[in-house]
Amino acid sequence: MPLVNNKVGDDCTVGTDKALADGKALVDSLIKVVACYRHLASCVGSCTDSLQLRDELRQTREKAQNLAVSICQHLTSHLRDKSLPEEQRKEMELLWVAFSSGLELLHVDMCKVFSMGDIFSLANSASLVQTGLQGGGSEVAARALSLPDLNQARAPEAGLESQERSTMEQEISQIDHMIDDMEMKVNVLRWMVEPHGPQYADPLSSTDSASLALLSVDEEQPGHQPQSQHSHMVVFVVLFAVVLVATTLSVCVVFFS
Amino acid sequence: MTINTLAKGGWYREQMTCFRKMEKVIVAMQDPDMGMKMRNQRLLITVIPHAMTGRDVIDWLIQKYNICEEEALHVGGMLVRYGYIYPLKEPRSLVLRADETPYRFQTPYFWTSTRWPASELDYAIYLAKKNIRKQGELMEYEKERYSLLHKRINHTWDFVVMQAREQLRASKQRRKADRIVLECQEQAYWLINRPPPGAHNVLDMGLEKPNNFSLRVTLNSDYYKREIESCRRALGRNRVKSSICLEGFVKFSEQYQNHDPIMQGCLPSNPWISDDTAHWTMNSEIVPVPTRLRVERWSFSFMELLNDPIGRREFMTYLEKEFSAENLCFWQACEDIRHGESSKIIQKVEDVYKNFLAPGAARWVNIDSKTMDKTLEGIKHPHRFVMDDAQLHIYFLMKKDSYPRYLKSDLYKNMLAKAIVPQETKKSVFPFMRRQRHSSPSPAQAVTQVTEEDGRAMGAGKAGTNSAAGSHV
Repeated sequence: MPLVNNKVGDDCTVGTDKALADGKALVDSLIKVVACYRHLASCVGSCTDSLQLRDELRQTREKAQNLAVSICQHLTSHLRDKSLPEEQRKEMELLWVAFSSGLELLHVDMCKVFSMGDIFSLANSASLVQTGLQGGGSEVAARALSLPDLNQARAPEAGLESQERSTMEQEISQIDHMIDDMEMKVNVLRWMVEPHGPQYADPLSSTDSASLALLSVDEEQPGHQPQSQHSHMVVFVVLFAVVLVATTLSVCVVFFS
Repeated sequence: MTINTLAKGGWYREQMTCFRKMEKVIVAMQDPDMGMKMRNQRLLITVIPHAMTGRDVIDWLIQKYNICEEEALHVGGMLVRYGYIYPLKEPRSLVLRADETPYRFQTPYFWTSTRWPASELDYAIYLAKKNIRKQGELMEYEKERYSLLHKRINHTWDFVVMQAREQLRASKQRRKADRIVLECQEQAYWLINRPPPGAHNVLDMGLEKPNNFSLRVTLNSDYYKREIESCRRALGRNRVKSSICLEGFVKFSEQYQNHDPIMQGCLPSNPWISDDTAHWTMNSEIVPVPTRLRVERWSFSFMELLNDPIGRREFMTYLEKEFSAENLCFWQACEDIRHGESSKIIQKVEDVYKNFLAPGAARWVNIDSKTMDKTLEGIKHPHRFVMDDAQLHIYFLMKKDSYPRYLKSDLYKNMLAKAIVPQETKKSVFPFMRRQRHSSPSPAQAVTQVTEEDGRAMGAGKAGTNSAAGSHV
């Protein structure tokens, strides 16, 4: 009998573990889509604004909305479940907080895109602001939609701007309602939620990081520089080794010639 | 949570008017024919288009709006200060120089806006991005703000870091030149919205902050009608010349000088000093014989007489002799209605009507017909102040008629003669004697007592130690 009990217990936690993993994956992809949407939104009204950009924005927004709806349902149902064990609940609350922050950012971006669409209509392309950007955001949109390459089969249709705007208005109000509903249904005490990660995050694993260094910026002392000292040391060691090799070779040459 | 800027019932934030105007100027600059002349910015190997010099900006403003150079410099300076144009060489110095310094337009997403102010979450994400991109790139003040934000929005910190990473990964999809432009744009945006300490914060409106950005007054006929009406009401208000005010005040002061306990001193003695409560007992509400000062005060004004219980009683006696006591009774009953319990008002009004106002009432009061009609109308819906007009009428009747006769009457004169003038208590010959006739000494004297005792004790102590010291030596 105890064996049976253990088995039942394992199943329960396995079930919620899976739910947690699912929720985490969904929230991660929402964060990615929100970041891409923001990136694309910063191009609206600039010289790279085009029907294609607006179409990409729309697709990204739809994806974000679908993700948001499914996360909302997933998290709400689990957090309202009273029998959830304590650590699972804490994890869920973390996801909840991340989800609501992401939704906030998405909402602001959608409002901004909507109002900028008002000011900068594509019909009058002479008034687009020349910001110095040259390329489009297709790769970013592809990343958002998790497609290897954005297939251009669906050509963006012109003349649907007004319909697009009314859809957008609806969707913004839908997100409004979602936010309100969330607060009503689930009571998450934000001051009780503790994050996992450290205050200062590790840098990304890419060497091409300091793009601003190209500009002749005369900034003030930017704090301590352990990384540059480390790289200096490496350079010195390499130079020393080279010099050593060169002297050995020359000595050999002199010795044997 | 967010403020729903598109919600119908919610608070709709307006873009400030000056921002809207600046946006129009920027859009006008984009015109391909009449707009700004663009140059290319060269950075080692990359070439970025759409740069302009400060001189270009000023020349364009002069030419477009037909203004002088000084004004163009001022307007252009505003465009830079509010973040619509950002400098490329020295990003932290937000001034427009009329020379070859390069500038670029800010993307509309990052335009300064009062509708969507920069949030703490955004700033935290920006600082996290800056830190992840290159460790140790944050300035001192940015590090401080980062730690502060870490404390404030701690619950969502995982999200901040993850979002920062994702935004960096998204921007890696772009080519190098675009990446530089995007970073410059963001840096310029945050230099305006979260300026470094000591730099002027353009978004801080100061003490004269406009409290309602969206209040746009349309100068139509309705507006002017309202203005005229309020001016008319202001003119109709009662005003008194200041000279007349001051004369009245001087007269009042002269009249009441002798009656003021602070100016004249109070008899028999000031209870606060001598602890003798005789003054209060002699001037309490009901005494067999009132003091003289009190009776004199009855002659100052009718209200003084009525407010004093003994005075009112005396006046009633006089009126009874004159067979016009119902006036005072009516007045008293009206006062009772005005200041009494709400639940009893209806009953009291009924009684007053029955006793004083009904035709053939026992104590019918003489009120003029207009006031009588108005009061009778009001009695149908009785409230606290329904008897006010009638009461005022009777008050003035008594004041003009009965009151002067009372002051001349024998009753009043006898009262005045009978009134006592209390004797001033003899001050003791030795003013610093600590023994008083009554118990507790006054606080001032208590303090001197304590210090004297301390002095004596300390003196004794000192003498003691001195002798002790002397003996030890």
